[in-house]
Amino acid sequence: MTNEINDPVAMWQKMVGEMEKGFNSFANQAMSSPEFSQAMNRAGEVAAGAQKQLGELMEKYLVSVNLPSREQVTGLAERLQAIEGQIGEIKSMLSRMAASSGLSQGSDTALRPPRTKRPPSEGGEQK
Amino acid sequence: MNAPTGLDFASIPERIQSEVQRAIQRSIKGVEYFSTSGPSLGSTPKDVLHSRGTMSLYHYRPTSDEIYRVPILIVMATTNRGYILDLVPGQSFIEFLLRRGYDVYMLDWSAPRPEEKSLRMEDYVLDFIPDCVRRVQQDSGEQDVSIIGYCFGGVLSLLYGSIFKDGPMKNLICFTTPIDFREMKLFSNFSDRRYFDVDRLVDSVGNVPPEMILSSFEMLRPASRTVSQIQLWENIWNDEFVKSYRMFDRWATDTLPLAGEYFRSITKDLMWDNKLFNDTMSVGGRAAKLENIKVPFLHAVAEHDHIVPYDAAKHLIAKIGSEDKEEVMLKGGHVSLVAGANALKRLWPKLDSWLGKRST
Repeated sequence: MTNEINDPVAMWQKMVGEMEKGFNSFANQAMSSPEFSQAMNRAGEVAAGAQKQLGELMEKYLVSVNLPSREQVTGLAERLQAIEGQIGEIKSMLSRMAASSGLSQGSDTALRPPRTKRPPSEGGEQK
Repeated sequence: MNAPTGLDFASIPERIQSEVQRAIQRSIKGVEYFSTSGPSLGSTPKDVLHSRGTMSLYHYRPTSDEIYRVPILIVMATTNRGYILDLVPGQSFIEFLLRRGYDVYMLDWSAPRPEEKSLRMEDYVLDFIPDCVRRVQQDSGEQDVSIIGYCFGGVLSLLYGSIFKDGPMKNLICFTTPIDFREMKLFSNFSDRRYFDVDRLVDSVGNVPPEMILSSFEMLRPASRTVSQIQLWENIWNDEFVKSYRMFDRWATDTLPLAGEYFRSITKDLMWDNKLFNDTMSVGGRAAKLENIKVPFLHAVAEHDHIVPYDAAKHLIAKIGSEDKEEVMLKGGHVSLVAGANALKRLWPKLDSWLGKRST
């Protein structure tokens, strides 16, 4: 271990670490009080209300200029993702059907290894 | 490096030279840091078996010549993305499991859509998990399924296991899973029923925004983000440090929103009434008592977990009805227990030795 007396960098790092611990501990103590909870939740309510109103206002504005809102774009992206998921599902269903009908060359399902693995013996090495 | 006990003046020029070199490296690497996007995460080859709204079921392609009979379904926490368990090659829990011969599936989550704000606890426990278990059975051709739940994914797995007590769950493994929510002191105070109007919040925002979830996690250690940025600057010359920082920072900030009704239920049933701990929890009218779980059970907890402190998790082992059950406490924090360099030496081998003999 490096001796901190002659290593200013180690001293600095230790000091930062101690400050972090001290501040976290102090803040945790302060945040454990009911007063903190009350103040935090009051601020949270105001912020949530303001966020909702701003969102609604923005949406109205975007509709008036004929542009999609972020929520609508996200919605489209997620629907696309769902379609991709369904394609994946169809693909894996087709792979399974191909595997069961013997037409499975190249499909991942057909290449699955056998379920015959045994655990290594006690004290034995696992590869 | 061992150093002498007193001031070593001879080493000062060497030290200054090293610091100057690092300062130069910092400037070069600092520019690089902002102009590159960081390592690609979650790249172990997988197929999407099923996707429905917020839920996705992946199957990872086996990499060993033979695999254990019983497949594993990993249930991820609903607040975060599953790629924490599949960071990069060499630091991936999924890759480790595949190499050790397991057949691995993951139930992962994406951000619930606005119209999914009405998803309830019932949807997660009585629909999503059983649906995925059925699909794993169908895909693998096996009736038995082992379940691994991480953090709140563990809570969902416990609820599922305690309701579907007649199978098909063969083994249950929970990582850092809380059951006594009174002991999550700060979260408990943040959601104090006298001041926190969860109905008003959910009714006004629908899905609970990810910023709110992230802030409540960060408030548990308010100085840590600033300090980690200082540490990043100090170590920006070190490629390994920067890579690790970027992986974990990206994951930690990639928090998911929570479906409104689901959040309401977590707050009222778990945070306020502590129903899971008090054995009064029910989901969709079905009692969820932990004593109903009789399958082999492993609970891994972290010694320095600031999100799920040990006091919030320690009673789980006693409440589980299984005869074959074990709790293991390992060094590390809430995330480093399951991901990163130390998990490779601690949790993963422990899990392999426990699960291997129960997977045939």
